[in-house]
Amino acid sequence: MKKTILAGLCAVLLATTSSLAHAETIRIANHGQAGIDALKPAVANIEKKFGVTVEVIEYPAPDKDYLSKLLTELAAGNAPDVFSMPSASSVADMVAAGYLAPITKEFKAWDGYAGFYDVAKELAVSPDGETYVMPFMLGIQQIYFRRDVLEKAGISTEQPKTWRELLDRAAEIKEKSGAYGLLLPAGVSWGTGAFDEGFQHLIVGSKTPQLVEADGTFDLNGEGVKDVFGFYKELIDKDLMPVQPLLGPEPWIIPKYEMFPSGQLAATTCGSWCYIFDWGRESKNPIPNVTEVVGTWTVPGQDGGEYVLANLAAPWGVSAKSSNVELAIKALLEIGAVETQVSYAARIGNIPASRDAAKDPEFQKLTELVPIHAAAENGVFLKQASGFGTVAEGVARATEALLRKEVDAAGAQQILVDYVKETLGDEVVK
Amino acid sequence: MAMNLHEKRVERQLLWILLPSLVLLVAFVIYPALYSIWLSLTNEALTGAAAANPRFVGLKNYSRLLADGKFWNSLLVTFFFVIGSAVIGQFVLGLVSAMALKRSIRFKRIFSSIILLPNAAPEVVAGFMWISMLAGGEHATLSRIVMFFGITPADWLQVFPLAMIIIVNTWRGIATAMILLTAGLSTIPNEIYEAARMDGATPSQMFRRITVPLMMPTILLYMLISAISTIAVFGLVYALTRGGPGGATEVISIYLYNQSFTAYQLGYGAAVAVVVLLISLVIGLVYVRSMKVEV
Repeated sequence: MKKTILAGLCAVLLATTSSLAHAETIRIANHGQAGIDALKPAVANIEKKFGVTVEVIEYPAPDKDYLSKLLTELAAGNAPDVFSMPSASSVADMVAAGYLAPITKEFKAWDGYAGFYDVAKELAVSPDGETYVMPFMLGIQQIYFRRDVLEKAGISTEQPKTWRELLDRAAEIKEKSGAYGLLLPAGVSWGTGAFDEGFQHLIVGSKTPQLVEADGTFDLNGEGVKDVFGFYKELIDKDLMPVQPLLGPEPWIIPKYEMFPSGQLAATTCGSWCYIFDWGRESKNPIPNVTEVVGTWTVPGQDGGEYVLANLAAPWGVSAKSSNVELAIKALLEIGAVETQVSYAARIGNIPASRDAAKDPEFQKLTELVPIHAAAENGVFLKQASGFGTVAEGVARATEALLRKEVDAAGAQQILVDYVKETLGDEVVK
Repeated sequence: MAMNLHEKRVERQLLWILLPSLVLLVAFVIYPALYSIWLSLTNEALTGAAAANPRFVGLKNYSRLLADGKFWNSLLVTFFFVIGSAVIGQFVLGLVSAMALKRSIRFKRIFSSIILLPNAAPEVVAGFMWISMLAGGEHATLSRIVMFFGITPADWLQVFPLAMIIIVNTWRGIATAMILLTAGLSTIPNEIYEAARMDGATPSQMFRRITVPLMMPTILLYMLISAISTIAVFGLVYALTRGGPGGATEVISIYLYNQSFTAYQLGYGAAVAVVVLLISLVIGLVYVRSMKVEV
């Protein structure tokens, strides 16, 4: 009898201990092996500082599938405690769905907060005024052009000052070199890239530079939206950008990894990572002397001005249903340290959101990124609102119709408006 | 007539034996189907405000579906996909293979193994294998073959996307067709063919007057299984084209996935699923009616 009671007590003790041990484990989801490698110093710090075990889960899928998996787990309540999000445009919707824990108080009280660029801090604030994500990396995107191709054809490499100048330059490239003049990601297969890497660059310099109104509704019927689609339309109709590869399942591969390195495509929007991973030292198809051969232009405004568009690159958040939200937030702040920012910059090619990164000797070694990091001080951004993910999908559908030459600019705008209204309701579109 | 005690006990025992299957059927088939119908009447989403507070929207998802050109496009693509790969491709090649294997031909075992081989590779793996064969550029297998004959290669999945997924799905489904049709052929007694031969019937006449009519129940059963399973094909098409280019291969399963897990509209996606369920039911009913007429 005594033996039975003792065995029972042992079993209860074992169960309690294992349950406590489980509570002390933080599950962190990351996207891709490069990100996991970049996270290693932060993981070591978290384990040492808080005496917990960190379980890093790799989600190797493409961006779109990664987000679907994450959202499914968040909806089911079994998501990791801390996770990265592949696109900033999904954050507002995740907040509206109640998936993310607010971190405003802890983030503002944190040592590293003051060192962040203002644009990063502002990008992290959700429409309800709370902060839900750690904005530790920025995606700074510009137009990258083949300086050698342009010079050989006798074409100016000066910064285009307006949309018209940019379009004329693209036409001149096509005429004199035979290469495609400019690529803007478009179509459904590119996922959020159609919005993140294409549409939004133009909309910030258009006549209606913001899509979100003060009351949270979307201004999609504005002149700027139509003009942006008109820009795409001209590129497509005049055969200035490659269309057929964009209709395939992995639309970025042929233009970015084959056509641009070979000089068949002379200009494309891309992020800071392109100098390292797409065409630089970590590329499978590198362009020799990439920083000399490939130059950058900021995206000009419709009637002038230059825009350095800043995005949150893979922002990190904490699951609202985490078993230990407080601990998860502490881990999140640790991930935001300058050391991790630099580690990410080296492996992913994004820009640290902290000014202090400039003082880090390891970051100074990343010569391709240093000038872009400095430019982030003047970054502009689009205001976010719940439903932004739907707008991004609507842009993808509208640009797909343009690629297929089924509609004009007004028709593409109508596709966007109809899609957002059908999905979110008539009242969300101004 | 009233049952005696023993019969009642046997019936109760049978019910208990059936219970686990019934529970599984309710849990994994009937409840999800009913839940999908309910979901299709709401604006449930995977993210955004609708994820936190889904609303009942009545038949709004269905009315939107009827007005959605992409939905109709996906139905049309699915129709061609089913006709091309299941009804024509797999059936014809499966029947030819089954009839060839019924004869005593050389290398019969190797031939049947080759036909069965595509089923050994998982859908997505098979898809990626075919991508390497059908990709653009001079190094892809198909391009090399056509170049050998002096034909200019193309990016096959871009230029002929629907035809390509039909060919790949046909390749993958021949084995199932062959097995089913072989079973059907084996039920036809040899004596009938011998009698026909003695009466001077030609092979073509024997095929049309004996083989096809006597195999009709098997053919109809095959058509039912193959049509419904082809409507549900997802992995192969997703791996090959993801529904592109420009919706040219967006079969209904891909459309459903895109609505549910790309646009994150679970309610709308559920409405698509309900329509697919209805289409499958109609095909099933047509089969049942045909069987009643024929058998």
